[in-house]
Amino acid sequence: MAEPAYTVASDGETTGDEKSSFTFPEMAIGIDIGTSQCSVAVWNGSQVELLRNTRNQKMMRSYVTFKDDIPSGGVSSQLSHEQEMLSGAAIFNMKRLIGRVDTDPVVHASKNLPFLVQTLDIGVRPFIAALVNNVWRSTTPEEVLAIFLVELRAMAETQLKRPIRNVVLTIPVSFSRFQVTRIERACAMAGLHVLRLMPEPTAVALLYAQQQQQSGHENMGSGSERIALIFNMGAGYCDVALTATAGGVSQIKALAGNTIGGEDLLQNMMQHLLPDSENLFSRHGINEIKSMGILRVATQDAIHKLSSQTSVQIDVDLGNGLKICKVVDQHEFEEVNREVFEKCERLVHQCLRDAKIEIEDVSDVITVGGCSYIPKVKNLVTSIFKGKELYNGMNPLEAAVSGAALEGAVASGVSDPFGTLDLLTIQATPLAIGIRADGNNVVPVIPRNTTMPARREMTFTTVHDNQTESLIVVYEGEGKKVDENHLLGYFKIMGIPVAPKGVPEIDVCMDIDASNVLRVLAGVRMPGSPKPIIPVMEVRMPTVDDGHGWCAEALNKTYGSTLDLVMVQPKV
Amino acid sequence: MFASSPTSFLSAVSFQPTTALKSSTPRNTSSTKFVASYSTKETKTPHFFATKMASSISLYEILGISTSASCHEIKTAYRKLARVCHPDVVAMNQKETSTNDFMKIHSAYLTLSNPEKRAQYDRETYNRPKWNISSSSLTSATIASMSGFPVYAHASRNWETDQCW
Repeated sequence: MAEPAYTVASDGETTGDEKSSFTFPEMAIGIDIGTSQCSVAVWNGSQVELLRNTRNQKMMRSYVTFKDDIPSGGVSSQLSHEQEMLSGAAIFNMKRLIGRVDTDPVVHASKNLPFLVQTLDIGVRPFIAALVNNVWRSTTPEEVLAIFLVELRAMAETQLKRPIRNVVLTIPVSFSRFQVTRIERACAMAGLHVLRLMPEPTAVALLYAQQQQQSGHENMGSGSERIALIFNMGAGYCDVALTATAGGVSQIKALAGNTIGGEDLLQNMMQHLLPDSENLFSRHGINEIKSMGILRVATQDAIHKLSSQTSVQIDVDLGNGLKICKVVDQHEFEEVNREVFEKCERLVHQCLRDAKIEIEDVSDVITVGGCSYIPKVKNLVTSIFKGKELYNGMNPLEAAVSGAALEGAVASGVSDPFGTLDLLTIQATPLAIGIRADGNNVVPVIPRNTTMPARREMTFTTVHDNQTESLIVVYEGEGKKVDENHLLGYFKIMGIPVAPKGVPEIDVCMDIDASNVLRVLAGVRMPGSPKPIIPVMEVRMPTVDDGHGWCAEALNKTYGSTLDLVMVQPKV
Repeated sequence: MFASSPTSFLSAVSFQPTTALKSSTPRNTSSTKFVASYSTKETKTPHFFATKMASSISLYEILGISTSASCHEIKTAYRKLARVCHPDVVAMNQKETSTNDFMKIHSAYLTLSNPEKRAQYDRETYNRPKWNISSSSLTSATIASMSGFPVYAHASRNWETDQCW
């Protein structure tokens, strides 16, 4: 059964799953952990409501400050984020860093953040630390996220006057399953049980389905479906989804995602304003951190202003004799970030292609996320859809968390007498999952955009005569070669009967259930006999822990050729 | 849960026509019970991940539509079934069966909603003498969950009488 991977129960209660849908449950709340801002929402019986912190904010900055012994996060903290950033004690952007190894370009791009991110380029987790009283206090993205979630939980508990345990979280489309386990671990550390993890645009799709249902575009079951394209660009990630909606059911046709977002726009701008920043700040002393912080805040400000005005004056003293005095206009900003915007366009086209949907068939184009306020982002989406007007029924910052709250209510078994919760999102896999075979290739067993739950099977065979063992190495991603994909885990099947190469049939089956749990099954058959020779092995993935970059390399070096597999062409 | 051991997991997955004899299960039996008992009796699985459904039940029957259904009707039927059979909406104790059911419903939908695949399927199916309308976990689950659902009142094929139990 789908036991949560890390159930660190905060009390002696049941493990959430079993009990909840019979007796009326503790309803799950929706949380949108953004790279820059977080929000919490809950179904209040008639509609979705966003919770506010003690400062009456619905959007809370995602950061944690390490000071003295007690770290404090952006939920409750009274000081402004901007001030704390200058001291090197505030850690943020954890959603970008979580579950990544130090060879990852995203980690490298994080080195100019005003805290310490060190890389050794060997495929282990990066060294991340906050400067506390002149000492580097090491931490991990999971820890930072957990501290933050504890505060969110406390805030929600105070307001809803009940203990909170179940949550629905939104995640970027491009998150690997390994990153998902890190999010789950952070939740477990915070005493939260993840009921569902939804790719962000699919949460938006659920909200859209509800709006369609309510606006009476259709009555239940009329097959006239509306195709919507959802473009979601926040600070850390850009996601695109195509969904076909009718009767409150949203079928995800295709998902596409990438690690590009407001953070890239910001870094490109900082680079543009101060081309030598990498060298200037490489020492990571208290002064450099302060300068980096000031530059960051000033650039961020300028970008925000450029959403509503055509040019902006930047006038900032970074200390150490460094001053920036410059006028930047919208065109310059768009030129500096041309590559980022082009990537966004490609993502939309890829999604349309994958879903096999023509531009003319799209009924609604929805842009959400912080970056959807940027004129260039709106323009690039509308120009793809030939000037079509954007859907305006959603608050770009609240759409994802509202969808998560709806899913929280639906998945907790809450029903609504007016039928406002008769909703369903039929999810699709954002990334392909396959195994290593035919040398250093990855053969996808479940392709991307396969409707979940899913189960697929493929047959492989041995490459050597008398090969009695073979290694099933499971990867996730779109690359053809193993090193372009994320390693999820591996196991060995032993006891293959002695036979010439190509004779034993090794069946590999992958199964993803509705809660997105992946199981990999492998068994061996000999031709002519339908029965497995050895007991079928069933392994829940991912199995690897940190340092999987290293692990993959070692595995392929040591066993790459001896325990290899090749694909068997399907018989017609 | 029966899915915890590999053998029962696989047998719950498999979908063999040979088990048609067990079709005497009353219609109102919960689908979970039905498959659970089925999986304990059927411990040996001829093909060990029989993901393909038995050919004895037609894709049209899975979706509960007539063989002349329009594309629009197919989509509608699929959504209606999803609203009751998807694992996200069923009770916790039925997740396992509903997962299998939903995958069958989806694959039926995928074939029938694609004109080419549908035509090919029709050709292959009509070459058979007749469909052996066997009971299966799917039929029982679908019927159980669909009973009382208004759509079937005006569906062209009457399920209640077409089933041979």
